[in-house]
Amino acid sequence: MAFRRGQRVEIFKKSQDESWKEYMDRFVGLRGVVTDPDTEKNDPDALIEVSIDDKGTHRFPQDCLRPVQERP
Amino acid sequence: MADTKQTQICPVKETRQRLFSMLEKGGLPVARFKRWGEEIIILLDDIINGRAGHGHMETIESLARRITDQGADNGCSQWGKEALDAISIHRELFESHIRTRNCPVTDCVTLTPAPCQMACPAGIDVPGYVTLVGLGRDDEAVEIIRRDNPFPWVCGLVCTNPCEFMCVRGRMDKPISIKYLKAFAAERAISQGRYQNPPKAPEKGQKICIIGAGPAGLTAAYYLALKGYGVTILESLPMAGGMMMVGIPRYRLPREVIDREVAMMEELGVEFRFSTRLGADVTIEGLRKERFNAFLLAIGAHTSYKMAVPREEDFPQVVDAIHFLRSVARGDRRAPGRRIAVVGGGNVAMDAARTSIRLGCEEVTVVYRRTHTEMPANRDEVEQAEEEGVRFLFLTAPVEVVGKDGKVTALKCIRTELSKPDESGRRRPVTVEGSEFLLDVDIVIPAIGQAVDTGCLDEISDLSWSRRKTITVKGATMESSVEGFFAAGDAVTGPATVVEAIGGGKRAAEAIDRYLSGIPQPELPPVPVRRTRLPVFEISASDKTNLARPDMPLLNRDRRRITFQQVELGFNESAAREEARRCLRCDICVRCGRCVDVCRNEMKIDALQLGYLSANGDQTTDLRITAERCILCGACAANCPTGAMRIEDRGDERILALCGTILNRMKVERCAVCGEFLGPARYHDFIRNNIIRIAQTSGDTPLCTRCARKRAAGKGSEAFPAGKNI
Repeated sequence: MAFRRGQRVEIFKKSQDESWKEYMDRFVGLRGVVTDPDTEKNDPDALIEVSIDDKGTHRFPQDCLRPVQERP
Repeated sequence: MADTKQTQICPVKETRQRLFSMLEKGGLPVARFKRWGEEIIILLDDIINGRAGHGHMETIESLARRITDQGADNGCSQWGKEALDAISIHRELFESHIRTRNCPVTDCVTLTPAPCQMACPAGIDVPGYVTLVGLGRDDEAVEIIRRDNPFPWVCGLVCTNPCEFMCVRGRMDKPISIKYLKAFAAERAISQGRYQNPPKAPEKGQKICIIGAGPAGLTAAYYLALKGYGVTILESLPMAGGMMMVGIPRYRLPREVIDREVAMMEELGVEFRFSTRLGADVTIEGLRKERFNAFLLAIGAHTSYKMAVPREEDFPQVVDAIHFLRSVARGDRRAPGRRIAVVGGGNVAMDAARTSIRLGCEEVTVVYRRTHTEMPANRDEVEQAEEEGVRFLFLTAPVEVVGKDGKVTALKCIRTELSKPDESGRRRPVTVEGSEFLLDVDIVIPAIGQAVDTGCLDEISDLSWSRRKTITVKGATMESSVEGFFAAGDAVTGPATVVEAIGGGKRAAEAIDRYLSGIPQPELPPVPVRRTRLPVFEISASDKTNLARPDMPLLNRDRRRITFQQVELGFNESAAREEARRCLRCDICVRCGRCVDVCRNEMKIDALQLGYLSANGDQTTDLRITAERCILCGACAANCPTGAMRIEDRGDERILALCGTILNRMKVERCAVCGEFLGPARYHDFIRNNIIRIAQTSGDTPLCTRCARKRAAGKGSEAFPAGKNI
């Protein structure tokens, strides 16, 4: 899945990627908006920036993210 | 203007304030104990701001006990005893703040920042400065911004504005134009000479060396200099700014903007050593001899990826985008050629293409292997590139650079098509056999990503690197694997945004300060700090609804094709002030929905159509509908935990307002006997209709409770106030 800016996503699982930090465990199940995807080449391995509802903006590996239904 | 009310006082916050006040009044006259006291205040701030870890309580108690035990002979023990007593009485609450990062009495407002502030990687108090812009207090707005971000003007022009994606107003119509309000305030404050540094702390006698004068390094330098550290920045380029200066074209970010904001750092005594490359001109060993106490590695990501096609390195006319943009930024304004191919679909590709147009290149073509929909560049950038005459070749990939006599003559390309989505949902570009063609060009600019130049840090052999070739750090503190070495910016995140680099630089500065002061490091990334709590604007519901987000005026298209003048011209004053008034003030209203709940389910009136309170955004909002149904009973205001919903009697009117937006106002009646204020007629009707089945009312005469009782007592029967003829 190539994520794009403004897309609603859910952090649906922990990632096994080395960039996953322990404090991110509490974000699993939360939703947010992609605010800075890989703006150069849509690299599936790139870390992308997500603003989580009420929990701040963080960079995540893409394997822990999935899109959720858009707002109407 | 209406003030907001506080609910209860949090004992944790109260303890901090009391101890700080005692400290300020000389409660710890001995220097050693005063230092311990200051450390306790910092640790209490961590608790109040939701950043404390498991060791905080233990450290506070240990320090307080030392002050109590050792300070008996010099008047210090009382301060320590106060701290220990407060912890003893409220231990559960202290621990709850640490464990849940919430304040149960909602007094520690820093624990409930607005969504826009939460989203900002630098944690700027957005509602605070937006309100100040609305009030015309631009210099104060800038002062608020600079507490968290020393580059308000830069970010006002080039920030990727994650705040606007989270803006609650976006659930109603369009988000507040937060970014442009920041630019407006900064430009005004600088123009009027009211953009000033805050006072600097006394010199600490310790020195920090920062490698790299990009946004991360400069931000760290600013906050460390303010704390009283001596800061030296090494920069390989002959000017400060890093990627802001040599990666972002001048038509998006004029050089003067960067120079002005960097000058503020020089004013604080930050020393710059330009044209100094780590690993070439200086070594870590040499720097250690200069007795720096800590290092911050903020070297950025200035190396480009290759296209990996044949003959890519055979011609000087193949110039990577980073190198190309850097040479233009440094003053080389010659057209590199007549026909340009820019390879890639990202923001850097757009920058390279639009820069080529401005240099006078006749044909500029962006070659991208997917479609317009998949282009990762920002939509605005793509649209503006199209307007300026950049051509796009979609579903096309380069396969070979073609040339003759040492010069590029064409880029051999092949058509691609998108595959069916794979397991991850991605549609990969697949080449179409036999579809090769030549694109006649004389310059090729690959723009397919950047990496960190790791070579300059080879000397630090214990430095840990990720598999993405970025420096590994602890996310909360930016500490690297080598003691005394911190890292921030693109060198840590890979190519990212200016505001992320600023946020990282700020975190690093705080962590360096703690490291050098011997204070435990936080375990979690910082929660943004509420810097101010400002009164609300009073505005009618229809004005609040009808104010529309203004469009940004742009430089005309012809001029954009031939000059590097700033494309976005900025808001005029009235547009900025009005835009600020659209803000819903989520720093006050925490969108708990109790007002809607009590109005709909308890009072059965359903006068509040506030769909924006729901994060799903699936319900409509109409602020004007309240006036049609509301009886001004005040149940919503009475149940509002933050004082966002308020009801008040003013003159002969009763007014209901949500964060200053007047939802309803009606004339109130007075008691016919004693003259006391009663509710409005619609409220009377509501009461009458609810009690009519069980009791008599007082007829036509509006009476207060006391007078109604008197009258009823006289008649020997029960009558209720505010009734009408039945």
